[in-house]
Amino acid sequence: MKSVTFIFNKTPYGSHSGRELLDICLMTAAFEMSITVIFQDKGIYQLLDKQQPDVLNIKNHSLTFKALPLYGIEKILVDSMSLANSPYNQEQLLDIAETAEPGAIKQAIADSDFVLML
Amino acid sequence: MATLSLLITANPYSQQGQYSAVRFAQEAIVQGHQIKRVFFYGDGVLVASRLNCPPSDEINLTKTWAKLAVEKDVELSVCVTAALKRGIVNQAEAERNALTGENLDPAFEISGLGQLTEAMLESDRLVTFG
Repeated sequence: MKSVTFIFNKTPYGSHSGRELLDICLMTAAFEMSITVIFQDKGIYQLLDKQQPDVLNIKNHSLTFKALPLYGIEKILVDSMSLANSPYNQEQLLDIAETAEPGAIKQAIADSDFVLML
Repeated sequence: MATLSLLITANPYSQQGQYSAVRFAQEAIVQGHQIKRVFFYGDGVLVASRLNCPPSDEINLTKTWAKLAVEKDVELSVCVTAALKRGIVNQAEAERNALTGENLDPAFEISGLGQLTEAMLESDRLVTFG
């Protein structure tokens, strides 16, 4: 089975890249591929709970991240160093991901056939 | 020799990605690699409009891609969701959405995100140009 890693590394707003990458991720989950999802750098903001972009007339895609486990995606990692460098802790993030040391993130990327970032 | 696919999200005339991508595709073919599919997503879909009209002393990216498609049989796939949002439509989508015209260059075809995943399954590498 081919493996693919999706790296979310940008804020949820300001550009649509997070939502666009999420759409690819969900589509890929419908195929026979082994999927890893990584949240890194500003990408960890994608997972912040209780986002309200609707006040800006922007669709709230953050809730869709909750669907990742339902789509059979089990390996969802938050870069511990990115989290430590942010003002947030894991309790403030959606409860779908586990924190991983940079070494583990690096290994997950190295083990993948494809790596996608937008 | 490898089988490659390209994912292109760069805005055609605001970012360098499309210029790099088309050169990359041309050279990959010269070196004997196969391009399974070029998938246009995000702002990248804007290159599929046959109405793009850059100054005559600049490269016309739409025509450059189209030439590659016709001469080297490279498949140019445009994500339907990204395209409709940005006003890139073929005849069928124009009729379905009651729009007054179509503008998709005939070298490109409208498809869905599944075509991107399928391209990965059938390629050794996917190269993104954003």
